Amino acid sequence: MAWQWYRFGAASLCLVTGIVFMILAVFGVNRFHKALNRMHAAAMGDTLGILFVFLGLILVRGISFDSLKLFLVILFFWMASPVSGHMVSRLEAMTDEELGELLVIRRSRRIKAKEGEDSPEDRGESQAER
Amino acid sequence: MMGIQQAYQCLFLGAVLILALLIIISMIRSVLGPRVADRIIAVNMIGTMTIMIIAILSVYFEENYLVDICLIYAMISFLGVVVLCKVYTGVYLRDKNMEANMEAVEDNLSQQKQEVHDYYENE
Repeated sequence: MAWQWYRFGAASLCLVTGIVFMILAVFGVNRFHKALNRMHAAAMGDTLGILFVFLGLILVRGISFDSLKLFLVILFFWMASPVSGHMVSRLEAMTDEELGELLVIRRSRRIKAKEGEDSPEDRGESQAER
Repeated sequence: MMGIQQAYQCLFLGAVLILALLIIISMIRSVLGPRVADRIIAVNMIGTMTIMIIAILSVYFEENYLVDICLIYAMISFLGVVVLCKVYTGVYLRDKNMEANMEAVEDNLSQQKQEVHDYYENE
């Protein structure tokens, strides 16, 4: 009977890991400000979340035909998710006219301003941006 | 001592409840999202979590055919995202009276690069 509990422990560990990845993905999607940043968090949920949840279910199911189908769902998602991500990013790159105002670029500008002349105007501006 | 069957049921029930909560949160995000791409990302994530819920329920109820539904739902969700992207790209390009090709993307990106470069130059 002990091995069944071991299997339950492994399956619950995988499932909880997958759920935690999904929670992180939803948190990231709500936390970031730009669509291209949000895609980063959403893609993590699409790959790692699906992988761990389905791995846990495969461990519960054991080796059977349904496990093969669950594995096929993982395989399909790992092929389809990058494609849909590429489509969404292309849509965003095509339609967003203020893509040059990404936060990364602004931050690199702030670092550049700090490294260069350290005038009080730059410092005040960077603090206002923060 | 709790039986193994009950333990599995508690685990699956908790997982499904948490996923339902996450679906509600991302539904709110899909309504709030300022741009179309944000909404599509949120809808794509709702689809992912629905697939997870269906797969968990197939093990919870021990119904094998739900796994097939899960596979088909994954395909339809992917198709929906692709179609939505195509449709909104077409709508945007029709409003701007442009052709639907990659040159539009490259033109937009090069223009933005030029704008950022000009911004640095002015600093």
